[in-house]
Amino acid sequence: MEKVIMGNHAVSFGVQLARVQVIAAYPITPQTQIVEMLSELCADGRLAAKFIKVESEHSVMAAVVGASIAGARAFTATSSHGLALMHEVLHWAAGGRLPIVAANVNRTLGPGWNVWTEQTDSLAQRDTGWMQLYCETNQEALDLVLLAYRVAEKVLLPVMLVLDAFFLSHTMEPVDVPEQALVDRFLPSFEPQYKLQPGEPCSFYGLVTPEYYMELRHKMHLAMQSALAEITAAGNEFGRLFGRYYGLLEPYRLEDADVVLVTSGSITGTSRVVVDEWRARGHKVGLLKMRVFRPFPFAAVRQALAHAKKVAVLDRDISQGLGGIWASETKGALYGVAEPPVVFPFIIGLGGRDVTPESIHKVLDYTVAHDAPEDDTVWMEVKR
Amino acid sequence: MSYDVSESELLASGHVACPGCGAPMAVRYALKALGENTVLIVVASCWSIIAGPFPYTAAQVPLLHTLFATGGSVASGVKAGLEARGLQDTTVLTLAGDGGTFDIGIQALSAAVERNEDFIYMCYDNEAYMNTGIQRSSATPWGAWTTTTPVKHPKDQPKKDMVAIMAAHRIPYTATATIAYPEDLIRKVQKAKSIRGSKFLHVLAPCPSGWKSEPSQSVLLSRLAVESCIFPLYEVEHGEEYRITVWPKARVPVQKYLRLQGRFAHLRDEDIGRIQENVDDEWQKLVTRSDRAKAPGNVDQAF
Amino acid sequence: MTYQISFRNEGEMPDLPVSSGTTLYNTTGTWRYVRPVYRNKTSPCNVACPAGEDIAQYLGLVAKGKYQEARLRILEENPFPGVCGRVCPHPCESECNRAELGGSISIHMVERFLADLAGGAPVQRLPSNAPAGATVAIVGSGPAGLSCAYQLARRGYPVTVFEAWDDLGGTMRLGIPAYRLPRHVLDAEIAAIARLGVEMCTGRRLGDNLSTADLRAFSAVFLAVGQQKSRALEVAGEDAQGVVAGLDFLRRVNLGMPVEVGARVAVVGGGNTAMDAARAALRLGAQTVTVLYRRSRYEMPAIAEEVQEAQDEGICFEFLTTPVRVLTEDGAIRGLQCVRMQLGAPDGTGRRRPEPLAGSEYTLNVDVLIPALGQEADLAFLEHWAGGGLAQTLSMANGLLETDAAAQSSQTGIFVGGDSATGFGTVAHAVGSGKRAALAIDRYLHGEDLNGFPALDQHVHAAPRDLDPAVVRFADLNLAYFEELPRPEPKQRPAIERKRDFAEVTDGLDEQQVQQEAHRCFSCGTCNGCDTCWLYCPDVSISRVDHSDYQVNYDYCKGCGICAQECPRRAIVMEEELKWKK
Repeated sequence: MEKVIMGNHAVSFGVQLARVQVIAAYPITPQTQIVEMLSELCADGRLAAKFIKVESEHSVMAAVVGASIAGARAFTATSSHGLALMHEVLHWAAGGRLPIVAANVNRTLGPGWNVWTEQTDSLAQRDTGWMQLYCETNQEALDLVLLAYRVAEKVLLPVMLVLDAFFLSHTMEPVDVPEQALVDRFLPSFEPQYKLQPGEPCSFYGLVTPEYYMELRHKMHLAMQSALAEITAAGNEFGRLFGRYYGLLEPYRLEDADVVLVTSGSITGTSRVVVDEWRARGHKVGLLKMRVFRPFPFAAVRQALAHAKKVAVLDRDISQGLGGIWASETKGALYGVAEPPVVFPFIIGLGGRDVTPESIHKVLDYTVAHDAPEDDTVWMEVKR
Repeated sequence: MSYDVSESELLASGHVACPGCGAPMAVRYALKALGENTVLIVVASCWSIIAGPFPYTAAQVPLLHTLFATGGSVASGVKAGLEARGLQDTTVLTLAGDGGTFDIGIQALSAAVERNEDFIYMCYDNEAYMNTGIQRSSATPWGAWTTTTPVKHPKDQPKKDMVAIMAAHRIPYTATATIAYPEDLIRKVQKAKSIRGSKFLHVLAPCPSGWKSEPSQSVLLSRLAVESCIFPLYEVEHGEEYRITVWPKARVPVQKYLRLQGRFAHLRDEDIGRIQENVDDEWQKLVTRSDRAKAPGNVDQAF
Repeated sequence: MTYQISFRNEGEMPDLPVSSGTTLYNTTGTWRYVRPVYRNKTSPCNVACPAGEDIAQYLGLVAKGKYQEARLRILEENPFPGVCGRVCPHPCESECNRAELGGSISIHMVERFLADLAGGAPVQRLPSNAPAGATVAIVGSGPAGLSCAYQLARRGYPVTVFEAWDDLGGTMRLGIPAYRLPRHVLDAEIAAIARLGVEMCTGRRLGDNLSTADLRAFSAVFLAVGQQKSRALEVAGEDAQGVVAGLDFLRRVNLGMPVEVGARVAVVGGGNTAMDAARAALRLGAQTVTVLYRRSRYEMPAIAEEVQEAQDEGICFEFLTTPVRVLTEDGAIRGLQCVRMQLGAPDGTGRRRPEPLAGSEYTLNVDVLIPALGQEADLAFLEHWAGGGLAQTLSMANGLLETDAAAQSSQTGIFVGGDSATGFGTVAHAVGSGKRAALAIDRYLHGEDLNGFPALDQHVHAAPRDLDPAVVRFADLNLAYFEELPRPEPKQRPAIERKRDFAEVTDGLDEQQVQQEAHRCFSCGTCNGCDTCWLYCPDVSISRVDHSDYQVNYDYCKGCGICAQECPRRAIVMEEELKWKK
């Protein structure tokens, strides 16, 4: 059934269809609508879940961890400072191998206060052991909730579903809301192997000495690696059932491209239009949309970009002292490639500043005009 | 003489509590009271170690180790998760130290009990951060030495009144207990189990290492804490009905309790006099607030 | 059983840190440098009991409702619980730690309750241990003689008891009136001894129709002839008609012989014989009975309860007075001249010496005078002893037969005991003395040496329990576990009623009261299964079966010492681990 809904509500519908059993949440702009709608769904019985209205995001993630280790399918949504406050518990969820799904609506971290979009909040959680999936559209936001649970419950790692503040979260788009019966085929109820079970005394997450800690982390690493194939498989299965296919990456006019834009999130849509304009003018320009940040699909990225001459990575994030995080990972993917493309790392649209088609044109202009970036990072549209 | 205590033993030997530690005793009694249909949540504390290293566990019930500040929140999630699976009758017991309760965990605890989550929160209070090497917490009593309140500057603030804070939440049940009175402790845990909603138990658990006391005297100290009225045993229902459950047979001066502990060795007689005055005041307040009609025996005889 | 879990590779490991092994893998006992050891110590009552009863243990059995076991435990040591439960001055109760918290345990009443239980199992024989042909003669059927006979008969010895009188029991029958000791109680306990096969020969008086030659036929001899001779008043007129010695008076009364008491009876003395004589005289119809004692009430050696009961019955007491002359008329007593006394400096016994108050003489009208100033052993038979085929006579010490700690006299094979050798003057002491002799004779007849018996003022056990000799005193107890509880007092028949007959004065306690006593008992030094150690062990290292047979699991015990510290009765000690490693 097609509905015109905001990205936030798309996530909520996804959660409803996933038959999530426990939700914990704390309000934070611009995520709040996700849980507001879920709260209503729970209240009127359309979703048979317990909604725990905790007092902080730290407690949010703790409650979700508790629900998950108790054997329930659990969900939460947050943003920015909320995610930052969860940080400690994010490690516990991932190291605890819990198939939690959390939506993060990208929002800028203070100070000063800023509620607009930027990816630094989620990317800063890259070492917590969570998978991260980035959405371009509201449809993707809904679909990836389902895909996220399927993969998470397969590899026993949590998934962070990431969407842009306002450009997605608060923007109405037509979204196909799938039939529950079909969703149930894609995502059956979860029967966890590891759970708190009265009558089966065992302890979770106690002291692990150096004797075994490394093996447990290695197993986590193997699980994260296996997720690449699982995401691909789940994306294909999703496509067969729902007609929408999702892979690790989404290439656009990439076949013969000399210059490739690397994007994620809502910037992708804007960039696609610009790529079409440049193609129309005869430039061999393409686009690589990143969907999966963790596990980072190094091989797929390498394969997609190996034949390009220049790669312009758009980072709506900043790791001070490093630069763009996507650019850094992209460079890493190209390490060892014979005659690798030159990577142009652009910092753009921080603090929710609009990234317009004009902005993308400037990025391509710069990339075409230079053999190499003039600095480690290229800050776009900074008032100097 | 014999005790009205269950034979069921859900705490295994081989746990790594220090000799004479009160913490495993408190858990042993609580599990006796609750039985197997229990999930135990252990907040970062000595008990994170006591329970034994991977792949071993001392508790013979499912146990979840969790982060310092999450005693109330994880329990909320666990309870919800168990209920989602149809396990309505499983008791969720959160175990936390005084640091995890009085300090870092108070926010999540306050929120969980404000929501009246259906669980028992048991704080075993040894009056400092013992696992990290005896640093002061807001549960450390006035005048006590810790590594962060050295003898030259012993703690200059009174112990936080956690029971009052919990009672102010109007939760169905709040109680104090201590290891020298296992039957009282067990009765309170059983009572807590029978009540739906949030239950808070404040259990004084002596720490020989941190209190600088003899391991053999842990039960003695626990008893003296009650008999000196430093740590009275009482319960509060719905934040209003106070009831003293164990009346001291004969009140002993606080000195008797304090002088057995190295952490108070530096106190001068006038300091002890000041503590005695405070204890007398607090005890009088508690007695006044308590429902004397429900007190066992002749109350006045206790004085 | 091994609890160790070892993962050889990550494939064997779970995906996450989930622990399903138990900490039993971790033998924390290695941390320990002191270990708790269950070691029962000695209770003050046990130390004090002259008969060597294991009071702490049998009170514990009573508390568990195991009455027959408790009774048999007494019978291990003493065949006369019914007698002792009534007439013993119970020094055990004087030492009882409970005295400080509500009154000492009424031990004698519990003993009496057990003795009076209907359907009690017969006293138990022990596996026979007697050398072939060994026989033992016992002279005297008082508590010492019968205790000795009992212990030897239980061990399979053929025993012959010679009694001078026609009735068995010695002082128990001849000295103690029936209102204190009903005859059926005594008869039953003697009958139980006889049933063990002891040959009882009555009417055989040593030096008269029983000769030393007769005794020579036995492998060993135990002389327990008691103290039969009343001390003289040593005043003029003492031999007047109407003056009758306390022991003689009581013997006549107790044997049912006719006794004239007249209207006014005076009894001289402050001991139990004086009390018995005074109260018996009252029961025989005397209108006034006056006890004259030269010291004050506080110095009276009689059992305090007996004095009180006598007073309740209307016996008059005159303290600080002493007869100086019996006034006679026609050879019969008509009065008594007395003098008032005052207490001077303490004498050799520690009591203040009574001294006459000059000019305080006064006269008392008296029909019968009963001097009861104490008694002595009648050892006239010794004059014929050596002549009877034995090489030498027996040595004396302080007016008593000389004895060593093994009850042996100056002659090998001749053992002596009871009042004629020890002079303690109670049934319980005599029982202990007879038992001592029996154990010594048993060893003697096996050719074993007789060293190592406890000194005469300490008791001996027929069935000793493994006890640390350290005595647990009140200050040693963990008082946190004990509340003040009152001692139940038995009912007595009203004085007005009981002084008319010889029926028993004091009722026993009922079962509820006995239970109360058994539960009031601190069980000083003896584990009574209270579970305190089990309850408080932080390491879950103490196991037990049905509140007994406590075991410390040294694999896990960390040696914190809480069990020993908390044990209410100090039945656990902490011992250095080094000592155990050796």
